[in-house]
Amino acid sequence: MYNDNNAQTIVEYIKNFTRKNSLFMLAYGTGCGAIELPATLTSRYDAERLGVRGAATPRQADLLLITGYLSTKTLKRVIRVYEQMQDPKYVIGFGSCTINGGMYWDSYNTIKMLDKYIPVDVYINGCMPRPESVIAGFKELQRLISEGKADGATKYKENLDWYRENQKKVLKNWPLVEYNW
Amino acid sequence: METTFIKEELLFRQLETAFENVVLEIARKEAVLVYAPKELVAPILLYAKEKLGYKSFSHLSCVDWIENDEFELVYILWSPETKINLFVKTRIERENPIMENTDTIWRQINTYQREIREMFGVEFPGFIGEKEFILEDWEEIPPMRRDFDTLDYVSETFDERPGREDKQDVRERIANRSGEEIPDFAKKYSRE
Ligand code: SF4
Repeated sequence: MYNDNNAQTIVEYIKNFTRKNSLFMLAYGTGCGAIELPATLTSRYDAERLGVRGAATPRQADLLLITGYLSTKTLKRVIRVYEQMQDPKYVIGFGSCTINGGMYWDSYNTIKMLDKYIPVDVYINGCMPRPESVIAGFKELQRLISEGKADGATKYKENLDWYRENQKKVLKNWPLVEYNW
Repeated sequence: METTFIKEELLFRQLETAFENVVLEIARKEAVLVYAPKELVAPILLYAKEKLGYKSFSHLSCVDWIENDEFELVYILWSPETKINLFVKTRIERENPIMENTDTIWRQINTYQREIREMFGVEFPGFIGEKEFILEDWEEIPPMRRDFDTLDYVSETFDERPGREDKQDVRERIANRSGEEIPDFAKKYSRE
């Protein structure tokens, strides 16, 4: 009568359903792309109809949005912010700069591949992405969540050594917190 | 109509009588250039501030003349009354570059000096400012110097995502895919 497997699936389904429909977003405005966010969040494109809205602090946020190029100096803070966020947490890389360096591909002070330093669930390409593509990115993330595939946080925990190694390669002389998860 | 430089001429004469050893030039309307040796920069700045009504300091920047083994420091002042930009330029040697600290004349010079110390390695003895400004734990030569090879540094420090080494011109492919015409004026920028 009582099917444990099915119950699990239903619980997972409800969890993912609620998660995907209330994404509290911490927009880390690192690059120029941040200017598209006010448009996305306000009345014209109104991301809140998808359940996406701003969060005040990392600890209250589910979704970290890296909007553009990331200098190594900012990367330190982003790593801190990411580690402060509570599970479940998702990351969206926003703009070509986070994907492959974009037009800063030969800059001495910006990182080129965001997913080497923190796990990224969805990339939105474009320089800069229009609000439509940002919303498409949100939808894609919601799809991944509802399928249970947005597991960046688990990936980060499991491969912390690999991420730390990459982080230390660019952040010399910077104390990174050790965890014993 | 021929442009007349009446107020620029006036400033020119004033500076000419006040300082020997400087080369003056009226670059264009509302821009006067002063080429001065480095000891004269502070006196000129002070004179401009006290006597010529230069209330505002706009910018201090640095140019790397690697061919001449020199750095050029450019102080840009702005007078709201006459609306003339005054450029004070001076050259210092590139090996062991030292320039007088002038942040006692305008406090905002302090910030620019911090930047130039970090980006070009020019030292300003006696000025107080945190050592690190934008870069943190920088171990190479100052990055804005022209002999700093950015590309080398980047390929050493960061990994590039595969797929953009060939730097293809994909406009044509995209245009074909969506059945668009590339306009003629855009064709001349093609990399092929
Ligand atoms: S992708 Fe373009 S818009 Fe976005 S941060 Fe980079 S340069 Fe700016």
